[in-house]
Amino acid sequence: MMANSFSELLCGFKGEHRCLSTPQGVVTLGELMNAAYSFRSRIGLYSSSRIALCGLAPVDLLTAFLAFDGYVSAMLLLPAGVDALTTAMLIAESGCTCRVDSLHGSPEMLGVGDVEESFAVPGKETRWILATSGTTGVPKLVEHTLATLSRTVKRDRVRGAEFVWGLLYDPCRFAGLQVVLQALLSGSTLSIPKAGGVSAQIESFLSDGVNALSATPSLWRKMLMTERIGELSLRQITVGGETADQVILDALKFRFPEARIVHIYASTEAGTAFAVQDCRAGFPEEWLENDSIPVGLKVRDDGHLLIRSYKFPSGNEVAGRIDADGYLDTQDLVRIHDGRVYFLGRASGSINVGGNKVNPEEVENLIRQIDGVIDVRVFGKKSSMLGQIVAAEVVAEADIDRQELKRVLIQRCRSVLDSWQVPAFISFVQELTETAAGKRERIS
Amino acid sequence: MKETIIGIMREIAAESGNELVQELDETTVLLESGLDSLGFAILVARLEEELGYDPFSMMEEPVYPRKLGEFLDIYRKYAR
Repeated sequence: MMANSFSELLCGFKGEHRCLSTPQGVVTLGELMNAAYSFRSRIGLYSSSRIALCGLAPVDLLTAFLAFDGYVSAMLLLPAGVDALTTAMLIAESGCTCRVDSLHGSPEMLGVGDVEESFAVPGKETRWILATSGTTGVPKLVEHTLATLSRTVKRDRVRGAEFVWGLLYDPCRFAGLQVVLQALLSGSTLSIPKAGGVSAQIESFLSDGVNALSATPSLWRKMLMTERIGELSLRQITVGGETADQVILDALKFRFPEARIVHIYASTEAGTAFAVQDCRAGFPEEWLENDSIPVGLKVRDDGHLLIRSYKFPSGNEVAGRIDADGYLDTQDLVRIHDGRVYFLGRASGSINVGGNKVNPEEVENLIRQIDGVIDVRVFGKKSSMLGQIVAAEVVAEADIDRQELKRVLIQRCRSVLDSWQVPAFISFVQELTETAAGKRERIS
Repeated sequence: MKETIIGIMREIAAESGNELVQELDETTVLLESGLDSLGFAILVARLEEELGYDPFSMMEEPVYPRKLGEFLDIYRKYAR
C-alpha cells in the first residue's frame, strides 16, 4: 500500500486550523497548503526530481515539505550554517537535480540529468535525506521517508488539539522533524520562536501559550536558569539528543510537577527507538531481548547497545551497521546496574558537548602540530551542565614553558575549532595511558 | 568562595575571548554575565577540581540558579 503523503495526512484538518504561530503571526493550515500548492506549480518539477532544500527558514521549509512530499523522488534537508563546500558535496552525493535556497526566487536547476520521466504527480514515496549532525568533518546522509520519520508520532487528534509545541530544534534535523511532525500530524499548533537567545525564545513561547517542549538536557538546564521558564504551563516535556541524567529529570519534575516527562532515545540513523516515562535515568533492563516491546534491544558483549526496528532508514551509513540478525549497532556504550541500563558514552569516543559532537582525533591532530607538543589525548570529561566537556592531556617537550604552551594551544584551537571543541581542561602528563586493547581511553 | 568563583569566571572569559560585565555582584543574572552555557559548564567543572565537589550532581532540591547570588548560595550550602 502506498503511504500517504504529508499533504494528504493533513487533509483531514480544517483550513482555518492554526497550524503555526510565528513571530510574524499565525499561519493557518489553509494558508500553508496554498503556499505549498503555488510553489509546486510555479517551479514545475518531475517525479524524478531530487531537491536540495538549503538553509530554508522554518515556515518555508514546512511549505516545501508539503509541496514536495509524495511528488518528487527525494528531498535533501540541509540546515542553515552548513558551509558552501559541504553543501556542494552533499548535493552531489545525494544526486540532487534542483536546489532551493528560497521559496521566492527561482530554484537552481543542476546539470545532473533530470530524467524527464513525467511531471510530478502525487503517488511517489519521497525520500527525506537528512545529514547526520555527526562528529566534525563531513556529515553522513541518511535516507528516511515520511513513514520512518513519523513511525512513533502520535496521531490522536483530540489530545493533539490541546497542545502547543515549541520548536527549539533545527527542523532539518531528526529531533526537529519529530517536533514538527508530532505537532502537525496530531493537529497541535507549532510555535516557531523569534531568533535570539533562550530568553527570547521563552518570551515567544509564553505569548503563544506553549505547553509542550522538546529539548536536549543541556538546553533544559539552560532554560531552567532563565527568569520566566516557570511561567510556562508545560504539560509535555521531552528530553533527548543526549543522555538524560537523574538530576535534570528531577529538576524538571520539581519545576513542572504537572508535566508528563519523557526521555527518548533516538538518532538520525536509528530513528526513535524508545521513550522512557518513569522519570529515571537509563531504561529498564527487562526491555532487553523482550518481544513485547516494538523495537528489539540487546547489549553486545562489548557493551554496545543494539537495536532492531521494522523500519530503518536506508543508505550506506545505516546498512553498514546492521548485523546478520537485523540489529543496528547504535555505537552507544551501556552498563547494566541494578535492573537498569545506563548510557556511558559513544564507543567511537566521540564527545557530546551539550548535543554538539566532537571528534577527539580531529582535535588531537590539530594539537599535535603545535611546536613543543609530543603527544596528546583528547577525551570527554563528565559535566553536570553539558553532559561532557573536552579535556586534553598533553605530553610536552621537557624544556618548554608550559604556561606559554597552554596559551598557544588554546589560541590555536580557538582559531580553527568551534568553541565547544576547544579543550577546557589541559593538563601536562609524562606519558599517555592506553587501554588493554591498545586504544586510547576516551571516557574519563 | 565568591572570590574563587569570580576569579575562575574571569579566567574562563579571558580564555574564550568573552568579556564579563563590569560589575559582578550577587544580583548579576548568570546568563547575562558574559559567560555562555559552555562557559558555565567549564566554571562548574573547574570549581569541582578546585573545591572537590559539584553541587549540581548532588542536589537534593534540583534547582538551577538564575543569579550569581543563588549560584554562590548553592556552593556555600554544599561546602564541605
